[in-house]
Amino acid sequence: MMQPNLIPVLDPNPLPAPYWVFVSLLIITFVLHIVAMNFMLGGAVVALMAKWRAKNRVLGNRVFFDVAKKLPSLLPATITIGVAPLLFVQVLYGRFIYTSSVIMAWPWFLVLIFLTVAYYGFYYVSFRSGQHPGRAGTVMLSSVILIFIIGFLFSNNLTLSQTPSRWGAKYFADPSGWNLNLSEPTLIPRFLHFFVAAVALGGLFLVFVALANWKRDHEYARQVLQFGGKSFLYATMAQFAVGIWFLISLPRGMRMLFMGDSPLATALFLVGLTGGVAAIVLMSGALRNENLRVAAYLVPGIVAVVIACMSVMRDLLRDAYLNPWFNPGQIAEKTQWSVFPLFLVLFVSGVILWLVMLARYGFFGSRKESAQ
Amino acid sequence: MNYPVWDVAFGAGLLIALVAILHVFVSHFAVGGGLFLVLTERKARHKNDAELLDWLKRHTRFFVLVTVVFGAVSGVGIWFTIGLISPVATSNLIHAYVWGWAIEWIFFFLEITAALLYMYGWDKLEPRLHQWYGWIYFIAAFASMVIINGIITFMLTSGSWPKNYEFWKGFFNPTYFPSLAFRFAIALALAGIYALITTSVQKDSALKTRIVRWSAWWIVPSLAALPLLARWYIHRIPPDVWASASGSAPTPTLYAGMAVFLLIVTFVLALLSLIRPGRIHLAFSLLVALVALGAMGSFEFVRESIRKPYVISNYLYANSLYAKQIQGDGGFNVDAVNSAGILQTAKWIKVRELTAADQATVGREIFRVECESCHTANSYRGLRHYLALRKWDENKIQAMIGGLEFMHNGIMPPFAGTDQERAALAAYVSSIYPVAATAPVAADGKTVFMQNCSMCHRVNASDALFKNLPKDANTASEAMKDLTSLFPLMPDLKLTEQQRMALAQWVNAQRTAHGIEAPMEGGN
Ligand code: HEM
Repeated sequence: MMQPNLIPVLDPNPLPAPYWVFVSLLIITFVLHIVAMNFMLGGAVVALMAKWRAKNRVLGNRVFFDVAKKLPSLLPATITIGVAPLLFVQVLYGRFIYTSSVIMAWPWFLVLIFLTVAYYGFYYVSFRSGQHPGRAGTVMLSSVILIFIIGFLFSNNLTLSQTPSRWGAKYFADPSGWNLNLSEPTLIPRFLHFFVAAVALGGLFLVFVALANWKRDHEYARQVLQFGGKSFLYATMAQFAVGIWFLISLPRGMRMLFMGDSPLATALFLVGLTGGVAAIVLMSGALRNENLRVAAYLVPGIVAVVIACMSVMRDLLRDAYLNPWFNPGQIAEKTQWSVFPLFLVLFVSGVILWLVMLARYGFFGSRKESAQ
Repeated sequence: MNYPVWDVAFGAGLLIALVAILHVFVSHFAVGGGLFLVLTERKARHKNDAELLDWLKRHTRFFVLVTVVFGAVSGVGIWFTIGLISPVATSNLIHAYVWGWAIEWIFFFLEITAALLYMYGWDKLEPRLHQWYGWIYFIAAFASMVIINGIITFMLTSGSWPKNYEFWKGFFNPTYFPSLAFRFAIALALAGIYALITTSVQKDSALKTRIVRWSAWWIVPSLAALPLLARWYIHRIPPDVWASASGSAPTPTLYAGMAVFLLIVTFVLALLSLIRPGRIHLAFSLLVALVALGAMGSFEFVRESIRKPYVISNYLYANSLYAKQIQGDGGFNVDAVNSAGILQTAKWIKVRELTAADQATVGREIFRVECESCHTANSYRGLRHYLALRKWDENKIQAMIGGLEFMHNGIMPPFAGTDQERAALAAYVSSIYPVAATAPVAADGKTVFMQNCSMCHRVNASDALFKNLPKDANTASEAMKDLTSLFPLMPDLKLTEQQRMALAQWVNAQRTAHGIEAPMEGGN
């Protein structure tokens, strides 16, 4: 028996602003979300590596707790920023993401439980200290594992949302929602790509910790710089292997987008690759010469550009996957002029107020930590 | 049916209720508790009360651990859960109200940042600046309530939105302001109730006394105001909708009673805490919180259940069918499904061919797409439970399904589909609690009424049955032979002669007991 087209029809309400507005908001807020996530997850991972692998135990413990104190702020940053792409992805791709979520409903629901537990775990660790470590290491590891799983579930859901041809078989085999998307060839390399990036950014986070301590405690800061910079280096090198794996795992038509078929996708890819190579070269130089400026300003700047390029590529890839089923031109649009401008005004005011809040707290002062 | 239905064995409705109730209990605290923090800090500094300040610092940590962690995650949890359970409604809401949520998100972001800086700033910031963060926190938290309240109340009383689809028409709907006031009062009360918890673990009894008295100022007046605010709220709900909570439908009525009862208990407990404020115990403060959680949960339950059959009032039914045909509904409205059939309309259905052999299997699929958003077979709102009370055989079930929209003050949407599909659904439903067509039937009037009529009729002077059924038992029994001829939408129930006589006599007895007048003989 043939399954008729399983893709849900849209609801009758038009898009309340032009399509490109939502695409831009989605990409921008996604970049912010993923950067916050990278600092949080990657920071936690390098903190654990420092605790367990550093030859100097005192140093390792100090790094560990320095990072741990920031995690209760980085996790809510990840979540809070994540709400925005969650809104916009539903606005644009609700038909796909709701469906894939229902198909893997229980794992998707478990994200909430894991998140809550991991979150309290981070608080527990942050309330400990080098003198009273308690079970800080174990708890941190548990939180990291849970967050790792959450990221993996996100990748499951997003890849499933882009492959409607898999839906029917999965759902009808188990409508109670115990499904994943493990048979997807891109799943593992795609997720690893995110995870390895997180470790690299965790390394950069340590570079910021070094920056914050440079004058206060120079010896410590130097060691932190080396540890963080190396984590960044090795992870980014590994990223080339993972990235190639990801590229190979893509269906041919999509792979070719980045290799000439689409000028935009190809250009972004080239910028990304060049940026990656440049970051590696610059960072290794900076570690050799102990050049804090390069490590803490130039490299992160380049990395920011790379992440932005990669995020746009990710969106182009989604368009390619959904191309047979999704045509933005067919979505009705009716901008809600009575409220959209209010959003813009409040958004700008909100950002200003937010910066003022950070400034008055001393975040941009010379002695305070620079990253939160 | 447009989307796949998540088959939750214990009931999808229960899951969303759980997530939502825990979330509101914390998120209202996040609003009221914010004001509590700044005003308490001001008071403590004003009076130079170092112990109070010290407690407040610890209370802030508790506040952040509860609201910023659990509150925020459970708020995301509501998004996840409604997307899983009501994707059609979520999709409609997101397209109509995404700018509302986007605005709320701005406040949410400011709120979380301010809360963290307030907590970490206790030892770092000078007092005025510290309180500045507290105020920003509270204002942002209140603002996010101002926004979200518009969307929640819109679902209950959509105002003129289903006609003009205008953002602000739906937002500032009839229950917007009473609901905002009501929720704010709850938020203030919860600020005091949560404060009792952290107070109870303090050692210094003089300090405890001061805080408990101060908390009482938050709890007692707010709770006392709730009945008045509730009246205002109820007044703005259309009377036929509110009727569900005042007797016409069992579940909302039960929970409305619970809400009132638990509210009174909370109030009394709050007063009791004032008798020996210096010795308040952790167990006691947790009890107060638990009862308040029950009261609040019951209130939310009432709101959710009187909204039924809709998820967005006068627009979308809880089972994701549009109430009326709307351009762009994809054929998912009741009329269209009645003519095309649910098996041909629904996308996520496995078996589309109906044969005599697999009636019940196909009926199961129909149940999943049309009923499972609220019901299960055996657990939450389980049909087995209802059928055990009513003892309907398959034929009667089929007849009854034809009138779902009349039952319990219209709390269910109508069945949508062809007659054959209705028969298939009946075959499945009757397999949940099989009753043979030949099984003996009850013959006392009260049971006959309960099993056959009480879904739609109530003992009441304005009820059509009690108003119009002829007084003479023989005439009445004769009339009830063919119910559809009495009123075309009544199911064709085929009661036995004995049942009809017993029912007619019981109806008369009720009339006497309740002072309901019977129609004049020969009238009608
Ligand atoms: C701490 C736990 C989290 C981790 C590790 C995490 C990680 C990720 C990853 C790896 C992706 C990309 C997946 C892919 O494309 O294959 C992603 C996407 C996304 N995340 Fe998170 N996330 C977390 C929490 C959250 C939360 C709590 C929210 C919502 C409030 C959220 C919202 C989103 C959204 C909406 C996307 C998809 C955006 C798009 O498709 O353009 N995330 N996340």
